[in-house]
Amino acid sequence: MADTTNKKLRVIYGDVTLGVQSDRVQYIFNYTRNGLESLVVDGKEWLYRTPLPTFWRATTDNDRGNGFSQKSVQWLGADMFMKAAGATVKIDGEPIDLPIAPGNNQYSDHEYADSVAVTVHFTTATIPTTAVQVEYRIAADGTLTMHVHYTGNANLPDLPVFGLRLIMPTKAVRYTYQGLSGETYPDRMAGGVPGTYTIQGLPVTPYLVPQDNGVHMATDWVEVVRATTQDNTQLTPGEFGLRISSVDAPFAFSCLPYTAEELENATHIEELPPARRTVLSILGAVRGVGGIDSWGADVDKPYHIPAGEDIDFSFKVAPL
Amino acid sequence: MTPDIRWLDDPETFRVGVLPAHSDHRFYQHYHEIAGEHSSLAQSLNGTWRFHFAPNPQARLQDFWQADYDLSGFDTITVPEHVEIAGYDKLHYINTMYPWEGHHFRRPAHTVGQDTSGTGMFSTAPDNPVGQYALDFTLAPAFAGKTVTVQFAGVEEAMYVWLNGHFLGYAEDSFTPSEFDLTPYLHAGANRLAVEVFKRSTAAYLEDQDMFRFFGIFRDVTLLAKPATHIEDLHIQPTLADDLQSGVVKLDLTCSPVAAGSTVRAIIRDDEGETLMDTTQPAAAAQSFTSDTLVHVHLWDHHHPYLYQLYLEVHDAAGQLVELVPYQFGFRTITIDAQKVIRLNGERLIINGVNRHEWDDERGRAVTAADMDEDIRIMKTHHINAVRTCHYPDHISWYDRCDVNGIYMMAETNLESHGTWQKMGAIEPSYNVPGSVAEWRAAVLDRAQNNYETFKNHTAILFWSLGNESFAGDNIAAMNAYFKKVDPTRLVHYEGVVNDREYEDRISDVESRMYAHPEDIVKYLGNHPKKPFLLCEYMHDMGNSLGGMKAYTDLIDRFPQYAGGFIWDFIDQAIAVTDPVTGQKVHRYGGDFDDRPADYEFSGDGLLFADRTPKPALQEVSYYYGRYDK
Repeated sequence: MADTTNKKLRVIYGDVTLGVQSDRVQYIFNYTRNGLESLVVDGKEWLYRTPLPTFWRATTDNDRGNGFSQKSVQWLGADMFMKAAGATVKIDGEPIDLPIAPGNNQYSDHEYADSVAVTVHFTTATIPTTAVQVEYRIAADGTLTMHVHYTGNANLPDLPVFGLRLIMPTKAVRYTYQGLSGETYPDRMAGGVPGTYTIQGLPVTPYLVPQDNGVHMATDWVEVVRATTQDNTQLTPGEFGLRISSVDAPFAFSCLPYTAEELENATHIEELPPARRTVLSILGAVRGVGGIDSWGADVDKPYHIPAGEDIDFSFKVAPL
Repeated sequence: MTPDIRWLDDPETFRVGVLPAHSDHRFYQHYHEIAGEHSSLAQSLNGTWRFHFAPNPQARLQDFWQADYDLSGFDTITVPEHVEIAGYDKLHYINTMYPWEGHHFRRPAHTVGQDTSGTGMFSTAPDNPVGQYALDFTLAPAFAGKTVTVQFAGVEEAMYVWLNGHFLGYAEDSFTPSEFDLTPYLHAGANRLAVEVFKRSTAAYLEDQDMFRFFGIFRDVTLLAKPATHIEDLHIQPTLADDLQSGVVKLDLTCSPVAAGSTVRAIIRDDEGETLMDTTQPAAAAQSFTSDTLVHVHLWDHHHPYLYQLYLEVHDAAGQLVELVPYQFGFRTITIDAQKVIRLNGERLIINGVNRHEWDDERGRAVTAADMDEDIRIMKTHHINAVRTCHYPDHISWYDRCDVNGIYMMAETNLESHGTWQKMGAIEPSYNVPGSVAEWRAAVLDRAQNNYETFKNHTAILFWSLGNESFAGDNIAAMNAYFKKVDPTRLVHYEGVVNDREYEDRISDVESRMYAHPEDIVKYLGNHPKKPFLLCEYMHDMGNSLGGMKAYTDLIDRFPQYAGGFIWDFIDQAIAVTDPVTGQKVHRYGGDFDDRPADYEFSGDGLLFADRTPKPALQEVSYYYGRYDK
């Protein structure tokens, strides 16, 4: 059958997955893996595992001193053991029943749409629980817009951070961003100079004890450049990149070779495992670092992340 | 004079045979020697020394100091270098706890306990390592016939010194120079200097600084040859008229020795070489010069560290130049006005300060000129205008650098005894020293005097600081009184009266706090403050920190009595090692050397990492300090 549609996205209604293809980008959502399992741009895979909400930051010296990590420890569990509570799919803006077998027998190998949206519903491993939604919206041009929503629950402790963590299969060569110079936090960003900055390698700020680091506040966009893949047919394909850009408001991010848990476990920088992935965390809420002292003073109130308030943030993902 | 190892146990014995502290001026024979600081009247003894390590006094070689002792079994060590860095004794970082915590029970002599005499506490201790140093040196031929002294710029923490088998003396106060007269025992040609350094003595109670605990000869050792007439002490007193427009310089000199017929010529030039004073007097044991009134005096401050050049020429009876002393000084005033505002040259002083431990990640506190130059460069780049020499006097040349670069100094005396009153986070001063314990008074007064006499000519010093975290008592009040008596031109700082308000009218010209929350500062300043306020430590930059600095700089806008503060601190104290597992060059901290108890990463509070690369927080400091860098 000839392809007569003028709709731009090809949709593959699989038994376990939903494939969405545009000219340059191919997406595979996996219902059993709670989200986007594959994001391929120009033949190169960008995801190591499904992106997940992130709640934990590796304890800073000030967090240790004022007991914040103990108070907020539930979020460590939530960060590591996120539980999914189902997914919903919209085609061209209209919700459809989750298109799995046998319902998906109605489709063909020639299905098209102008937009596809997948929302994954999560429940936090906290007491009480709260809900987090991660929404993926793919537009006709193949670009992905993500919206992440945290449902406030005042019975939970302040959050260390809230964001979405994308782990890439190999270590990036560099990243370039438009935002503020240096490592910045909500209560330590006045000295950040607006501009476009390139960071070679994925440096971990070498604090004596590894801890949360590398956050960049107020960012308009960040481009991550890699030069290696895990694909045995093209292990070193030359440089290729992905761009994350703001939608409604600037975002914060960190781009490191480690997760918060990996940083948390090390007492010296040399104990961190060999750097082999890229952990890009797009952050909707960042807690301040504090600075009055390191043995009890709390971070100033305006720089807390109160658990009782909803958090929403969006960003766009597109090929370079 | 016979050395007695029990001096280690006695707080009242802290200097034996040490020449009186005096100004830190260099002296030369010729003008051309000044630029490279290569005085033909100084002979460096830095380099490779013979060395024997003993884990405690019992194991030391009893007679190694004898002139003919066979050194063939000795190792070698570099001078200057810490004994721990050389690998003989365990590296150890600990904060308030005394370094023997959990290993030995001790109480300072004359305080509390079953035996308050202190006898044997250090002299027979199993945990008191000993470094036995020996150096065979050849006296520079030009030194023959002159008065020759040896100056140890820094030795931690107690030392005995011999020359050619003759005992010269004993010194504590690790961070100020100790100078001994060698002349009576000196041979033309070959000589042997022997130095026995103990890691612990009663000085340990006074030197409980939050830092790696090192011992050994860690600063320069220099032979000084004093001409027949020698300027031993110099006190430069630049005084401004009330209108800060004109000034007078008074010079008080002490000469020793003094040769008949010799003269001293005093020359003062401005920075364009214009001569403002040129006066000659017969040399005398004590004498003074006073300049004419200098009109249109250039004031010294952070942005315009204008220095005048003084030369003192000593000529012998034949008119031959025999000694030349260069010194740079500036005019400035530091006062507190009726509204309790600190004023420098009449303008409100705003301290954009840092606390600075001397640190080099390979060498510990044996810092290099390159380290100091880099520190100055970073300070100037990032609008840091003041430094507190936490918590001991620094390398002498650091004070010169601060004069030249307009870095305001809080010159701290070598004193910290927080382990005697701060336990498990609580105030518990049951055996605090120096406190008001009579037997500990002379030692801390000596430290104050060493600090003052050595550095009194440095324009950059705006504050004398009595020490850090040593509680309050009559002895600290006596230190305050000492500084007030000898130096009416500067302010005196001490924080510890916070813990004992009874002393607040007798100690410290300023209300000083550490890590006070902004709202508590507002409470003080909003309620008819008795004194100007400054933070001797704030913004504890441990790890990823330094958030919320604006709350402090806002106080500058709100209260003229708020004088700013000194961030804790400038550079991480951590030691560079090669990790045996990964081969990476990495930094190690307390506890990483099996040193226990330890305070682990608590010394990683710098704006710089231990290798002097900036931490991300530095740009924030640069921003806020830059806003007040007027």
